[in-house]
Amino acid sequence: MKFMGLLVTVCGWLLPLVGLNLTSSLAGRFIFALAGIGLCLIGILGILNPAYVKDAIWKK
Amino acid sequence: MRRKKFNVLIRGFVLATFLLCGVPAWAQTPSQPTTSTQATPAPAMSAPLAVKEANPPAADQMAKGDPSGTLTGNVNDVPVSNPKVGLTLGDAVNQIGQNKVAINFVWTLVTGFLVMFMQAGFAAVETGLCRAKNANHTMMMNFMVYGLGLFAYWVCGFALQMGGAAGVVSLGGAAPLSGEFALHIAGKTWGLWGTHGFFLTQGGTYDVAVMVLFLFEMVFMDTAATIVTGGCAERWKFAAFAMSSVFLAAITYPLFANWAWGGGWLSQLGANYGLGAGYADFAGSGVVHAVGGLSALACAIIIGPRIGKYNRDGSSNAIPGHDITMVLLGCFILAFGWFGFNPGSTLGASGGGALRIATIAVDTMLAGATGSFGAVFYMWIRYGKPDASMSGNGLLAGLVAITAPSGFVNTIGAAIIGLVAGLIVCLSVEFIDRIAHIDDPVGAISVHGTCGLWGVLSVGLFADGTGMGNVKGLFYGNPGQLVAQMIGVATLLGCIFTLTFVFNLFVDYFVGQRVSAQAELEGLDIPEMGALGYPEFVLKMQGPGMAAGVA
Repeated sequence: MKFMGLLVTVCGWLLPLVGLNLTSSLAGRFIFALAGIGLCLIGILGILNPAYVKDAIWKK
Repeated sequence: MRRKKFNVLIRGFVLATFLLCGVPAWAQTPSQPTTSTQATPAPAMSAPLAVKEANPPAADQMAKGDPSGTLTGNVNDVPVSNPKVGLTLGDAVNQIGQNKVAINFVWTLVTGFLVMFMQAGFAAVETGLCRAKNANHTMMMNFMVYGLGLFAYWVCGFALQMGGAAGVVSLGGAAPLSGEFALHIAGKTWGLWGTHGFFLTQGGTYDVAVMVLFLFEMVFMDTAATIVTGGCAERWKFAAFAMSSVFLAAITYPLFANWAWGGGWLSQLGANYGLGAGYADFAGSGVVHAVGGLSALACAIIIGPRIGKYNRDGSSNAIPGHDITMVLLGCFILAFGWFGFNPGSTLGASGGGALRIATIAVDTMLAGATGSFGAVFYMWIRYGKPDASMSGNGLLAGLVAITAPSGFVNTIGAAIIGLVAGLIVCLSVEFIDRIAHIDDPVGAISVHGTCGLWGVLSVGLFADGTGMGNVKGLFYGNPGQLVAQMIGVATLLGCIFTLTFVFNLFVDYFVGQRVSAQAELEGLDIPEMGALGYPEFVLKMQGPGMAAGVA
């Protein structure tokens, strides 16, 4: 899950960059950028961090 | 006759200009002569000037002293290139140009010194918010990050960041910084890192303008590096801290700073893709604070929370700091240093719209004040008391948020940005603490990470187009700027966070990030540093996780 979290986070960065070349419309680029930020946050706070919290010191 | 009148006019003008400390009238606008001179050719630069018309004080006058200060500094102080010819127009104009650059050098250096002093503020805030048993360790991390970061930045960080940033007009050009490694993708140039300036000698960078730039950029980098120590305080192994700080100073910070400030691909989003003026981050909400805050987040996730921070049901315990007076004093030191951080980012006070420093300074103080208002009101309404540490964090949140937009927004925008930051920091602290279960003893992730990202986005909303670079946001008719800022945010989250996380995983594997449980319970001062922060006080164990207080 830790690796998956990092992978999703990196994809969140690459998505807006790909979007820059996929569309020239400002609205399209806005949506790609928004989706990228959302994906990054899911990767960090939704996948990566819970994978660490699962084994946290206070749960033992 | 007319030519003689003209010569008198032009000499008087040049000398008066020089006496007014070199306002760069000719150096800046050589192609705009006055109407009366348009038909007459300009005098040769080598033509001698009649010095007596400047009416310099006589030697015996100067020998009597100058208590009023009206005689010191006159035409006699202008260096003459050829004593046989005497003072020429060329000498006067060169002196005007050097005066302009000298003003900008002094401005940039002095504001850099102010930013350096912020290290003391960070040390006080972080140490005050930690327990007494960890005071020496926390203070030492803040102390050593300065030297470690400086060294790594001198070796390679500065070169990666600014090695291709030539064209800093306010500092005379910094021409040796002319190497940028770039890829050409989809017909666009993507600048990735600089290639000149390793050890401040490689690539001809033994240069005064480069030195000024180095000092100013170095203290910014050190600000980012010292943010991480707060998020990981009270359980971070000192060796791991040292390695992590060197990596931030040498690689992660310079990379993003190059993309934003060094001519890299983020700054070119405007030219390449028509997104406003490209990613705009005036003084570093993203480059400095979000990089530091997200690095703190990455390290805090890896290290885990302090013993006693969370109960088995997931509820959190407050672990108060040992000296709130030190915290608030540190906040004031930081607010003072911010007058170097933001106004100093003009890299000059003369020419090129640099007088914007006045607006930038007012924006900075306003946003800090409204930030503390926002946090105080939130805490007062929610918990019934105006919490002191969150008031301090609110002030810092407002300052962090205004850092990126300070060069581009008016005072109303600044006040709103600060107020929103003051609210956001409270919500973020609660989210990080209670929902994400990430232990951040000083609130560094929320203050610098969350509010840094808000500051980046706020440029895309509030920039009014009157500041440097003609940056205009969504509310002033340019939605493309907001998209550029959002791409910057995605880069910080997706690239910089990941890079930091992966490196710190290696450190964790080979060195170990966290101290032993015994050392943590005992306090890190003796196990890690070999001496107590407060050796004459008796520390008594109290509360969850046996936090120590000063008896």
